[in-house]
Amino acid sequence: MAESFDAIIIGSGAGGAPIAHTLANAGKRVLVLEKGPVLRPQYQRKNGISDFKRDELYATGTEKRIQVPGMANFNGSYYSSHVEPDLNDEPHVYDKDGTDFATIEGYTAQVVGGGTQLYGGVSLRFTPRDLSLKSFNEGRQIDRDPNGDIKREARDWPYTYDDLEPWYTMAETLVGINGTQENQVKKFSDPNSYQPPLTPNPISTHVEQGMDALGMKRYRTPLAVITRDHAPSGRKVPKDPEEAKTSYVNRYGDPLGLKSSTWVSLLSPIEEKFELRANSVVTHLESDGAKVTKVHYRDGAGNPRVVEGKIVVVACSAIESVRLLKLSGLLDQDFNQRINASGLLGNYFLTHSFGGASAYVANPKRYDKSISLDSDWATDFCGSDDFLNEKKLWAGGAIYNNTSDRALPLSLARTHRSQDLDSFWKGFTDNIELTGEALRDFLLLRLGRGLSVSFMANQVPLKTNRIELHPTVTDKWNRPVAYIRKRWHEHDIYLMDVLAEQCAEILRKGATLEEGHGGVYAGDTALARCANHILGGARFGTDPKDSVLDVWCRAWEFDNLYVTDGAFMPTAGGANPTLTIQANAFRVADELTRRI
Amino acid sequence: MALLLPLDSEYVLNQCTKYLARDNTDPRHNYGQYTGNDPRGTICEAWRFPVVETFRGETPAEADTRFNAVTFVWPSRKDEAPQSVAVVGTFGALYETIPLQKVGDSGHFAVTVQVPKGELHYYRFIVDGQVVNDPVNPQQATLDNGQTWSRFFTHLCTQPLSFEEWEMEILGRLTDHILPFRTEEAQNFFDRFYKDSDKGTKETQYARAYRLDQPVGVVNYIDKLLAKEESHHLIDYKICIRQIDNVLNAWRPGVPRVLRSREVYIDLYNAMANTSQELLGWDYGAYQNPRYFLQLLRRHTYTGAFAHPKYGGNVGAMGWAYLEETARDEFGNSAFDWRRALELPVGRCADYFG
Repeated sequence: MAESFDAIIIGSGAGGAPIAHTLANAGKRVLVLEKGPVLRPQYQRKNGISDFKRDELYATGTEKRIQVPGMANFNGSYYSSHVEPDLNDEPHVYDKDGTDFATIEGYTAQVVGGGTQLYGGVSLRFTPRDLSLKSFNEGRQIDRDPNGDIKREARDWPYTYDDLEPWYTMAETLVGINGTQENQVKKFSDPNSYQPPLTPNPISTHVEQGMDALGMKRYRTPLAVITRDHAPSGRKVPKDPEEAKTSYVNRYGDPLGLKSSTWVSLLSPIEEKFELRANSVVTHLESDGAKVTKVHYRDGAGNPRVVEGKIVVVACSAIESVRLLKLSGLLDQDFNQRINASGLLGNYFLTHSFGGASAYVANPKRYDKSISLDSDWATDFCGSDDFLNEKKLWAGGAIYNNTSDRALPLSLARTHRSQDLDSFWKGFTDNIELTGEALRDFLLLRLGRGLSVSFMANQVPLKTNRIELHPTVTDKWNRPVAYIRKRWHEHDIYLMDVLAEQCAEILRKGATLEEGHGGVYAGDTALARCANHILGGARFGTDPKDSVLDVWCRAWEFDNLYVTDGAFMPTAGGANPTLTIQANAFRVADELTRRI
Repeated sequence: MALLLPLDSEYVLNQCTKYLARDNTDPRHNYGQYTGNDPRGTICEAWRFPVVETFRGETPAEADTRFNAVTFVWPSRKDEAPQSVAVVGTFGALYETIPLQKVGDSGHFAVTVQVPKGELHYYRFIVDGQVVNDPVNPQQATLDNGQTWSRFFTHLCTQPLSFEEWEMEILGRLTDHILPFRTEEAQNFFDRFYKDSDKGTKETQYARAYRLDQPVGVVNYIDKLLAKEESHHLIDYKICIRQIDNVLNAWRPGVPRVLRSREVYIDLYNAMANTSQELLGWDYGAYQNPRYFLQLLRRHTYTGAFAHPKYGGNVGAMGWAYLEETARDEFGNSAFDWRRALELPVGRCADYFG
């Protein structure tokens, strides 16, 4: 007999942890299966040593080479973080103009806590407009959409911002977010949902001045880092809370546990109330009619195991969740017909329209960027209806500055002239004349002077942007890997140009910039074309023919199968998605406490 | 007697699963570092084993920073697990066999041992009475008695593993050209920095690297990197250093290696970077692209100068200290306070333990 649980939750990141937290606290018997290791902060280890380190070779390791058969980048170099999957073992494959490439992009992190262990912690809410883009765009004039794709493909979410608002509040409170509410275009029901922010890095004064000069109302970027003792999770801050500011933020797990990963905020505080099996990869789901009956997984040594749950929640990040459902469908025709009754599983895959501007402040200004969190200032200026109407954009996005980028010597060099995670080091090694004094000048131009502002905006949903199973490439368990098919819509390109220019304008207005360096960048110039915000592919809705999940993120043709990572999103939102995934998961979890 | 540490099954699986657990037996992890059908080519980052980690005692003391915790693993699935596994090695007493313990019900065996930093050791497993080398760790060495044993080294190790003295001389000169430390003020800074360090730091952190006049220990970093994480590039170095020596001999016949001038290395670097003209004395049959080697060396050199000192370069964190000294704001204050976030004794953060 297989062991049995009330709920089996696959994945422990933003989509899975809020559900485990809620159900375990409600007294349900919960099993969390997580493919990655459980890497604890210092205070949870007897010897006080964390597996997360302030060590640049942990974020981006030594060189390995792609040996996945059939890839155009076969034998190419790659450098992964210690908690990213190995590219030869579990590649994502994307096609670029008909040629297949293996990529590390489209992965968050494989570790208990998922992507929330490595992210910069930017925890913005979506705007009310982000959830109603279909109705908003009816009758509007939109630039660069000759075929009317936007009006055809945009969807309203099946609930409004006001419906989601209490869950945002809950997520902010339980996860532990610092920031300020004033000047955000979103309504807050609880004025105390954020902890107070730390002092900004002095370099952000330039961004402050730039935003003010442009009339952009600004607020302190909400970040998932605690700045005060956090009662819900029992976490304590150091005597001086400013100690949380280090340059080992984005792409680093936090050895002190101040970054509010779902592990330290939601799971470890109630560790005795649920069962966690880390290092356990789910291979497939098994069903009998409308009920998922068994979850098959491999334990840490690779031994096959089976468990049963009254409900099964899939939350292993959008690409991998879609893949798991498709893999399960490969093994069972009936499962396949049920999960893909609409024919839309894997379709409407989304990332974000993203980009920004970067430059260096001119001599003699220089700031210690190694004392910083990931961002200091944000603005919703490009999310307002006035802005969207003026620019004839279908949707907007948030703008915020980056403070922890290019703060350390290795990151300065490995990102030199690179646009994505797949081209680390190339620019530096090719720039062969950088030696001796030229290398010193390279360092002195950059260290402490990098100024950048980014935007995160909606991407037009397209049915042809999709996740498939690759026909030939398999992973280390001999299962087909995910195949990412994604193109930008011409309106996305236009939107990215418009917003990148806004970012550039902030820099120009806020600082005297070093001539001849920096510029704007946008997602469409990135080689890999898929960011780490991976959304959609199993969108929710009110019409079973037009969606994969119902409003409670339950697969339409199953009684007990839920998908709660970013895959549920019908549109990508104009902000980093993590907080919205968490809020929606809390909302679903509340319903599940009544269903079990 | 070796000092054993309590076994943490969760910790062991955390170190193992991603790298070892699998069904697929394609050699996807052999990009030149293994010969033939070495089974290591089928597993990911085999160099991680045994796992060398920060040590901290139950009652933390300053002395802790002199040690690493080293975890030996014998991986196996439940249905193929042996009855008993032990390890014998130069880190323990002579012929001391240290039994490995079962890791939960996974099938794996493991043991964690306290070993001083800066050391090089040889070991073998005894599996159901049979003496075998570590099937995962790619590092092996032939001992004086002719036997091949598995090998590992702890943090801050400075014993040459990949290079001979003359190779290190050439490599030192080339890395010297790449790094930003050639200027007089940089040299003065390093001299001052070294003189100001206390005797203990000099002995533990600078040991060999400084005496050999290697800029911030970069050659030692590369020596260790090629012995461990990037062993697939050892062959590039072996061939290219030989070719460089040939080129320099062809350019300046009869000049001993140590007397080759700084200028000749600058010319060499530029000539290797220039792909439009053949290098006199370089055997293109042996190595096709000298520029490719420079690119590789650039990444390794820079990383060695600015990575955490535990990897064997950036000796005494001199690379970071140089940046701290040089990168100043408009008021003359340093804009790179790297010590603030890092553990003692490298940095000054009392809350982070490394």
